[in-house]
Amino acid sequence: MSRRDLTIAMVGAGGDGIVTMGDILSQAGARNGLNVIKTEAYGPQIRGGESSCVVRLSPSAIYEQGDAVDVLVVFSWADFGRFKGEVQPAPNAVVLFDEADPVARTREDLGIGADGHWLAVPFSKLAGDAGAKGSKNVVGLGVLTALFGLAEETIRRAVVKRFGRKKAAVGELALKAYEAGLVHGGTLPPMPERGLTFTPGPAKLLMSGNEASAIGALHAGCRFFAGYPITPSTEILQFAEEWLPKMGGSVVQTEDELSAIGAVVGASFAGVKSMTATSGPGLSLMTEMLGLASMAEVPCVVVDVQRGGPSTGLPTKSEQSDLWQAVFAGHGDAPRVVIAASDVEDCFHTTVEAFNIAEEFQVPVIVLTDQSIGQRRETLDPTRLVHEVVDRAVPTAEDLVEYKRYRDTPDGYSPMSVPGQKGGIYQTNGLEHDEFGRPASMAHVHETMNAKRYRKLKPIRDKYQRARRYGPAKADLGIVCWGSSKGAVKEAVLMAEERGEKVAAFIPQMIFPFPVKALEEFLASVKRVLVIEISYAAQFYKYLRTFTTLPENTIIFKRSGGKNLTISEVDDQIRKFLSPDRKKGVA
Amino acid sequence: MSAAPPALPVFVPGDYKTDLKPVWCPGCGDFGVLTALYRAMAELQLTPELTAVVSGIGCSSRLPGYVETYGFNTVHGRALPLATGVAVSRPDVKVIAVGGDGDGLAIGGNHFMHSARRNLDVTYILMDNEIYGLTKGQVAPTTPTGDKTKTTHYGNPEPAVDPCELAISFGATWVGRAFSGDLKGTVELIVKALRHRGFAFLNVMSPCVTWRGDDQFKTLKAKARPLPAGHDVTSRFEAFKFTRETDVLSTGVLYDVKSPSLNDRLDTIKVTARAGAPLVTVPEIVKTFLPSF
Repeated sequence: MSRRDLTIAMVGAGGDGIVTMGDILSQAGARNGLNVIKTEAYGPQIRGGESSCVVRLSPSAIYEQGDAVDVLVVFSWADFGRFKGEVQPAPNAVVLFDEADPVARTREDLGIGADGHWLAVPFSKLAGDAGAKGSKNVVGLGVLTALFGLAEETIRRAVVKRFGRKKAAVGELALKAYEAGLVHGGTLPPMPERGLTFTPGPAKLLMSGNEASAIGALHAGCRFFAGYPITPSTEILQFAEEWLPKMGGSVVQTEDELSAIGAVVGASFAGVKSMTATSGPGLSLMTEMLGLASMAEVPCVVVDVQRGGPSTGLPTKSEQSDLWQAVFAGHGDAPRVVIAASDVEDCFHTTVEAFNIAEEFQVPVIVLTDQSIGQRRETLDPTRLVHEVVDRAVPTAEDLVEYKRYRDTPDGYSPMSVPGQKGGIYQTNGLEHDEFGRPASMAHVHETMNAKRYRKLKPIRDKYQRARRYGPAKADLGIVCWGSSKGAVKEAVLMAEERGEKVAAFIPQMIFPFPVKALEEFLASVKRVLVIEISYAAQFYKYLRTFTTLPENTIIFKRSGGKNLTISEVDDQIRKFLSPDRKKGVA
Repeated sequence: MSAAPPALPVFVPGDYKTDLKPVWCPGCGDFGVLTALYRAMAELQLTPELTAVVSGIGCSSRLPGYVETYGFNTVHGRALPLATGVAVSRPDVKVIAVGGDGDGLAIGGNHFMHSARRNLDVTYILMDNEIYGLTKGQVAPTTPTGDKTKTTHYGNPEPAVDPCELAISFGATWVGRAFSGDLKGTVELIVKALRHRGFAFLNVMSPCVTWRGDDQFKTLKAKARPLPAGHDVTSRFEAFKFTRETDVLSTGVLYDVKSPSLNDRLDTIKVTARAGAPLVTVPEIVKTFLPSF
């Protein structure tokens, strides 16, 4: 079988330059127009400590990080042990490790079969000989280039750019290390069948989901951002702080999440598109203000980059367990909108869409992403980052005659004036209020205004029936999942298609209000339903059941987070129910 | 030749009044604050549509509903976060935050500290009645030790705080104390607070006739006296001499210094970030993600 793609994992101690090595590999891939997904993992240390990086390179489209590692580079076996179960070489993988490592491992320990390669490489020695002791990683790049047909010249330029940016001499030493790796790679058993064959194409963007979310906000016209640092969302705050002032906007790092979303609601009340970003524990603190935004009908956007919970949970690792919180948290009947992003590019689109919905319908909108897509880097086609932008409807002169801020309209939303607009003055509050915004606690007013606020969900549902469907129109197995599960599920569906199996997938982008009709059509088109999610409590499965009936024999594949959903996990599920072996009773 | 006739004021205090009737009890000190605010706004000729009054929750937090400007009565303790958003995103809007002692010093205490520290471009008027009025008479952070309330049947076991002392410690650049029974003095102090650039904090002793009885008004009236004429408003040390008072209530400007406001500093950042270049566009930002080697 020809090589569709190549997944390279690198593991080492702090100071081994694992992250830099991954950066250069992925940037060189992006430069040559390859499709790249890069993920990183670290130990709990604030600085230093073990780290791992996985880079998947492919000339054709890829949707998820590769879980069966084709090439494993280990600078320290002791540190490799700390990623048990997270970095898993395929049985036929090529394993390259430092011959100077005092800890010994055998190929049997890692389950490397006869068709794999187990190669001790003098990484440390070659780096020392090149005069750059700390450049094991660059030596490694040279070895990988020689063995797997990577773009030698592109990587050379990337090495010079990375190391020579401060001192040319450092760049020259790094180049020597790279050349030493290339030479040594030439002495290893050639394995051309494992190399990546590709024709370089136009360069692609290399971006994380968090960066894409932030860029989406700027594209949508966000000019005020308030936030409080919280892993794994902090990059959005940092990005906004760096770029918004250059666009004439402002950022405040507030004293807590209560204040962050409070400032966002204040700025939006003042007429400026505003956003905050957080993770689960922060969203919990923001809940009261979501109620105010819902009640006072103030547009606001919150990006929640989910992590493992509850409480402090797993701050650096992904989970899909903020679903119930996003949809349901809060007192009272408080309509809001929840959208889920499924990959890096989708982080851009969902954030723009969140602003569009928030501004048009004057509701709080939560965008659910997660650590796995928020912090991974992926290549994007630069021309794909476009999205229509909708602005808030301001009152016309006619609206301003006896201006009613909360005019009870057929669609539920009413023109919103902003400070500076003469004749648009109004006083609003979190109290139930009449059409003018005046406090009113009469039961009939509450009923009318609740109905007004909830009525907005209908045009939102009509306009934004966002859901993705993959696979044949009629299928034997239909997978329903959401958010970042899309990558692994889509790849597994494509693999099933190659095997001639009929597997389809339904992935909603709009979580609330849910595209129920589209889901029900999907359910009717498949023989068996499989719900997949990364939540121990099966939040998504139970959520679906609040508005539709799932077949009794629906299969649920769910587990806790901490490890991203893998292609092989989904593939195993598909095979379990559809493979010919099972039908023959062999499996 | 006769000089041009002087321009008539465009706004009179009544122009800032909405037709909503306050929910406050007859005799509530907050009426005095509201009247003083109307007069101060008229004195400064604040443009109604370019003014925003923001509050949290409590009796006094109902105030934005009674002022004919953009107004937002938000949630408990969060007046200053909301005011932060308005003030930073719309530097052209005059932002006034109002509220009570429970709202500002208990549930909203953290925001008070950081708004003062940032020198936020907001005038914050705290109506201090030493009690939770809206919930009908529970102990507050400013209730004197030993006082009986609905939640201190055996007398308040906790020491009280002096809001002005806190404001100065937190970094507010203008701090004053008023007594709502002294309308003229309160108007003068609100005018000064509104004129200040940066975070101006005015604590107005505003008696609660319902839950603190007639005595509170009488006691405050008896204790109130202006700060000595020679008080050095630029000295924290001097200002602190007039905090935690028990036998007197010193009113006036306790502290007044000049320092760049948050918006001043954010403006500087915008200039530094752009370094003379035109506003950056999203496609330009996206381009920085293309590998350049």
